[in-house]
Amino acid sequence: MPNAIKPKKSVLFAYLIIPVVIFVFSVFVPLVTALVYSFFQWKGGPAKTFNGLTNYITLLKDSTFWLSFRHNIFLVVVCIVGQIGIAFIFVLMINSKLVKLKGIHRTFGFFPSTVAAVSIGFIWKMIYDYNRGLINWFLDKIGRADLQQVWLNNESLVMLLVAIPLVWQWIGYYMVILLSAISSIDQEIFEVAELDGANAIQRAIYIVFPLVKNTILVCITLCIAGNMKAFDNIYVMTSGGPGTASMVMAMYGYQVSFSQQNMGYGSAISVGIFVLSLLVIGGSQWLIGLMTKKSDV
Amino acid sequence: MKKKVLSIFLTVAMAATLLTGCGDKDTGNNGGNESTPAPATESTPAPENNGGNDDNNGGASDGLAYTGTLELMHFSTSEESQGNGGSDGFRTMVANWKTANPGITLEENILSNDDYKTQIATLAAANDLPDVFLLQGMNTMAWADQGLILDMTDYIKASPYYSDYNQAYFTPFTTADGKIYGLPVLTGGTCTVVMYDKTVWGDTFPSTWEEVEAKAAEILAEGKTPIAFGNSGKWQANSCFLSTLADRYTGGDWYLSMINKEGAKFTDPEFVAALAETQRLFNETEIFNKDFNAVSNEDAREYYISGDATAFIGGNWDVSYVQASLEGTDLYNNTGFAVLPQSADATHQRNSQNIGLGYAVAINPAIASDPDKLAAAIDLAYYLTGPDFSGFVAANYALGGLTAAPDVDWSKFDQWTIDFYNWSYIDTDACEIYDSYLDGAIWDVLNSDMQSMMNGSMSPEDVAANAQAAYEANY
Repeated sequence: MPNAIKPKKSVLFAYLIIPVVIFVFSVFVPLVTALVYSFFQWKGGPAKTFNGLTNYITLLKDSTFWLSFRHNIFLVVVCIVGQIGIAFIFVLMINSKLVKLKGIHRTFGFFPSTVAAVSIGFIWKMIYDYNRGLINWFLDKIGRADLQQVWLNNESLVMLLVAIPLVWQWIGYYMVILLSAISSIDQEIFEVAELDGANAIQRAIYIVFPLVKNTILVCITLCIAGNMKAFDNIYVMTSGGPGTASMVMAMYGYQVSFSQQNMGYGSAISVGIFVLSLLVIGGSQWLIGLMTKKSDV
Repeated sequence: MKKKVLSIFLTVAMAATLLTGCGDKDTGNNGGNESTPAPATESTPAPENNGGNDDNNGGASDGLAYTGTLELMHFSTSEESQGNGGSDGFRTMVANWKTANPGITLEENILSNDDYKTQIATLAAANDLPDVFLLQGMNTMAWADQGLILDMTDYIKASPYYSDYNQAYFTPFTTADGKIYGLPVLTGGTCTVVMYDKTVWGDTFPSTWEEVEAKAAEILAEGKTPIAFGNSGKWQANSCFLSTLADRYTGGDWYLSMINKEGAKFTDPEFVAALAETQRLFNETEIFNKDFNAVSNEDAREYYISGDATAFIGGNWDVSYVQASLEGTDLYNNTGFAVLPQSADATHQRNSQNIGLGYAVAINPAIASDPDKLAAAIDLAYYLTGPDFSGFVAANYALGGLTAAPDVDWSKFDQWTIDFYNWSYIDTDACEIYDSYLDGAIWDVLNSDMQSMMNGSMSPEDVAANAQAAYEANY
């Protein structure tokens, strides 16, 4: 940078201190305090009793927490396949020469990801509603009223049902990321492939996918991170119910901390979520790295 | 150079704003004096200047020495007060007290009930409760142990209205050692009432579940839901069903024994039988709407209002809403009130409903260091729960509060209001509201498990065992 426009170090520092202070206060301090509180029996209020690793021992044996963790992993898998997979297909379709009004498709595809998750939850709750919901109405119209059911009260289906709005909401988001990656591919490559007689599926598998692989891997990481902290739309739709059939880790932590007012154990759950999320994200990065290496050879 | 100075100034200003935001909000005109932590060491009762507070007919007291701000947090929002006597009365009393005490700035923080519960729990955890707030019965023991709430026993005994208080209402706010931590507030209302359409069920609602089941078959044949119930919030099955139904199985002494830790257990066969009956009614019969676990009480009462359901089970808050919605319709004139029907194997009182005051005005002990401020807070608590409040809700809504209700002029009320008053306070027997006692952690576990149990995916024995484990761990 030319010296004439390069600010002094003190000025740089003064500007930087603002985001750093915000970051430290909103991310680092809560994380450290949660870690500290997790070693206490703390039912809220001033009295805290140090209880060492008791909260963590309880956490290891807490079947609801591990059930919630499994639900989060389920969400991650469904959303990787649903969000990124469908987004990839949509992007290929939009990029096709046959599709007109590409801008409108992009805008409408992206639209749901701009809506608050709570609103999305309410919209889908109405879709699933037993008496006035869209699904049961449709089943009635096609003469299959026998298939009608209380969707969100079906314990074996409820996780999938709360995952669908998440998939629906974020397809457009990944679509935009993938579109930008694909648009950076040299068009000549496609033309050459076409001349060589590659059909659309072959072009997708042998040309597009390898060239946007790194972007897809970034999308997968974002998707995992997003779904490990899933909360809002599930809170609105089922509050984790029926029973604990759609409980996820963040909601369980919230419930223990605020409904049960067990702040110490709630903090231990938060630390547990943090560690497990790091492990899952780290594990997936390692796996991706391994796969990338293999394919490079 | 000028630019540099300006940019540094702006940077510092932004940083300062940021840090101010993190600081104590209460830098108002009371000099932040309440921040001195003076926990539960409640000072000697000195309610010396309460003598004047019933002299003033305008409602509120005068002659308070305190000037400055007093925080009050509650959940009587303006929306909530539409048609809800307790909320309307509370807001009116707050307004009167403000007018009568111009020297005191009452800083109100008003939230919806659900938000209130979350925020007050967060503030309690941070030991940052407002000066005056509403305490839920089930938090009394835990918060008293933490020194978060002022022991009000002596202030309550010194109250000018003490002789008028309905002593039974104090129990949820009284700890085992007899200390009372709040003045019960709002209106005494039922948590479990059956509202039914007399044109379908007849003038009298069936008194046993067998009769309900028999009648339900006819109603189902007409394509209607016999009874609407909503439990998506998970608390409804406890507050508005089990609390009364289980009392029929266990009797009142069982729950007193639970409260006083005198040996009763959730795993006692009587309580398990009540859970089993709840499971049977919801899972094995078709009395209730199929989506009971997926809709809230707000949704379920709409089934009754719209005529899709012929009866509804809910609390007094639902009654006031349904009343406001149905006014002018035939159903308004044909709605009756009943207690839960009796189960075949239940042996205790059959005419019971759980009624009480779920909240009390409580005071942050930190303000005890400022006797004038404490006196103002006590005065506010007396007034919000005193005869002016009872008079207001009796005259306008035919409801009762903590003090004995004055004679009600019945000529201005319609049949609905009179019927519900008689049903609530005269024709039925009272039993306890479960979740006014014990600990929120226990209810959270039981309520979640009950939702699964009502679906048939968990046994009553397992539900009882989990609840008992939570009871032993938290109470």
